[in-house]
Amino acid sequence: MHSLKKETQILKMKINFTNEQNLFRDEVRTWLESNVPETSLLSLDTKEGFEQHREWEKTLNQGNWSMVTWPKEYGGRGLDLIQWLIFEEEYYRAEAPTRVNQNGVFLLGPTLMEFGTHEQKSKFLNAMATGDHIWAQGWSEPGAGSDMAAIRTTAVLEGDHYKINGQKTWSSRAAYADWTFGLFRTDLHSERHRGLSFILVPLDLPGITVRPIPQLDGEPGFAEIYFDDVKVPVENLLGGDGEGWKIAMATAGFERGLMLRSPARFQQTAAKLLELYLAKQDHCSPMIQAKVVEAWAQSESYALSIYHTASKMLDGGSIGSESSLGKIFWSELDHMMHQTALKILGASAELSQESKYDAAKWIKGFMFSYAGPIYAGTNEIQKNIIAERLLGLPR
Amino acid sequence: MNFIFSEEQIQFKDAIKSFLAEECTPSSIRDGWQANKSFNLDRWKNLIELGVLNSNLPQDKGGLGMDQVTLALMVEEMGYAGLPEPVAEQTFLINDAIPFLPKNITEAIESNYNDGGQYIALAHPLAPNPLFLNDSAGLILFDNSECKFIAKDDMDFEVISSNDPSRELFKINSINNAICTSENFDEINSAVSARGALMTAALLIGLAQKMIDLSSVYVLDRTQFGKPIGSFQAVKHMLADVAVKIEFAKPAVYRAAYSLSENNPKSALHCAHAKFMCAQAAELACKNSIQAHGAMGYTWEMDLHIYMRKAWSMMACWGNEDRQQDIIFNTLSSTSEELGVLYTF
Repeated sequence: MHSLKKETQILKMKINFTNEQNLFRDEVRTWLESNVPETSLLSLDTKEGFEQHREWEKTLNQGNWSMVTWPKEYGGRGLDLIQWLIFEEEYYRAEAPTRVNQNGVFLLGPTLMEFGTHEQKSKFLNAMATGDHIWAQGWSEPGAGSDMAAIRTTAVLEGDHYKINGQKTWSSRAAYADWTFGLFRTDLHSERHRGLSFILVPLDLPGITVRPIPQLDGEPGFAEIYFDDVKVPVENLLGGDGEGWKIAMATAGFERGLMLRSPARFQQTAAKLLELYLAKQDHCSPMIQAKVVEAWAQSESYALSIYHTASKMLDGGSIGSESSLGKIFWSELDHMMHQTALKILGASAELSQESKYDAAKWIKGFMFSYAGPIYAGTNEIQKNIIAERLLGLPR
Repeated sequence: MNFIFSEEQIQFKDAIKSFLAEECTPSSIRDGWQANKSFNLDRWKNLIELGVLNSNLPQDKGGLGMDQVTLALMVEEMGYAGLPEPVAEQTFLINDAIPFLPKNITEAIESNYNDGGQYIALAHPLAPNPLFLNDSAGLILFDNSECKFIAKDDMDFEVISSNDPSRELFKINSINNAICTSENFDEINSAVSARGALMTAALLIGLAQKMIDLSSVYVLDRTQFGKPIGSFQAVKHMLADVAVKIEFAKPAVYRAAYSLSENNPKSALHCAHAKFMCAQAAELACKNSIQAHGAMGYTWEMDLHIYMRKAWSMMACWGNEDRQQDIIFNTLSSTSEELGVLYTF
């Protein structure tokens, strides 16, 4: 038994921002205040809205705010995770437009930096930053959803190009995007996660047909992509032939899991929910108040957890199942908050054009909140991961 | 911004963990139940020896002056072990209150307290029935307007049953003599209430973790249909849901503890947040752990209920989820408090 009677001044924890971090926050805020469009853009899932959002990416890039976490050598600001969280807090506070190139900036960009050739980096990274290339994801297929290793779309090497045949589906942003990235089976005799390759495909090649899929809100946020003898130059292979699974797993890795949904987004929703409740409190039952408190408490916890995890990473710590735990938490929270907002709105909760109390926005957000538990790996798949990797249960 | 523990903090946590793994086993807890004597004097003396009991007393009072974050980490382990002695929810609260109490009370406490670490009990409207009065030197009693110290011989009390046999509860029938103070009462009372919420929150984290650990072991061991039941998704998902709740309750505890150490004016809100999240996590841990154990979970024989019973009591004491919800709402809806994206830290 060792006595605890020794050092007592051991608090290393410092849960507040440094001067430098506060100055950085001011800088972000000042820029956003003078650059965020005064009227909100059209939906990015409409053709016109998509182009407006592309323009916004260009504006962001002119201020060097489009790729803040990228290293300086690739034109980014090289921000650490804490600075990125600050940037996101200001971004949501300013109600700046949704990032139409999220697939590029947060998923493909870092993957290219890790696995791309010099030529690939110079061809794609800058075009991504300027908004000239907007990227769609090309993972799922009709027979490969949660079971991604069941991919059947083939890419056969023929001289200096791959010939692609098959179909991708649920490709986010594909309705209007310029490029897609995804996994293709390059070894026709392979099974499961072996024999897959990571290939970058321009969506305007002959043989490609994009069929937009209207989502619950009626707009085409995703699409089917059909490949009929599509010839893609061999230079568009990212990493080695047959290494696609490994690279895709890196794309889905923690840091990007963390960046998929920053806490500011949910804290902003929780604050607006409270505002809505306070305005309509007299028409609500105590059950609603309980949900409003829960929304604040959970979004606050999500923020604390992400700062805790980011601090651990900056300290050289390794990360386990945090992205799976987080994905379940924020997607369920987002749905609960929107459900509660609709209850507060009462009979106005069906008025999809109503601007009073932001009814239309809540309704749109409510519908989108049903997607959260499904995309980026369904919550059921995440629970399997937690049970197997964190709790040690058998597969 | 550095939301992280130091190596020393982890060492404290590990030290108490390995101590309790030896000295506070399920069978030692059951021995206490059997003998109607859950307060184990040997274990108590060892906790004094180890420096645990005085850890958050100021250094000039013979303690370590330990910060609340380290304290919370240690308390998690006390929850994990199901420690029957109320170190977190009575002793640590009294230690924290001592610098704020007037001299007449602290002198009375010290004269009864520091001679070999006598146990002193605590009663408060949020946890009205003190524990182990027979083993105590006296009682600190908060009522609605005063804080009192009552020596053991100056009161008449009787034992009452708790649903947790580890908790020997008492009811005070009459008080013959007390040292009273109403000085700074509101300030002291709200400080004790907030810390009570935090201490029970930290205990609940440990208890929830223990329940999910016991369940994970059980579902690996128990086979049906020719496989461990832990390979079935229905079982996996139930336990994963608990893991999610625990994961997002923990940082609320650490932040609340940090706020107290820093005298943050929002520490009462932060403590309420911690208890709110931990009570929800523990509640689901109880429900899903017993379900994962099947009928075995409903038996006296399985150890699960040692921790489940303590969790039920800790959820109820020092402000349950409903009370914390009121505190949070009242703070958020008062115009002086800002909230949202920019006010977390």
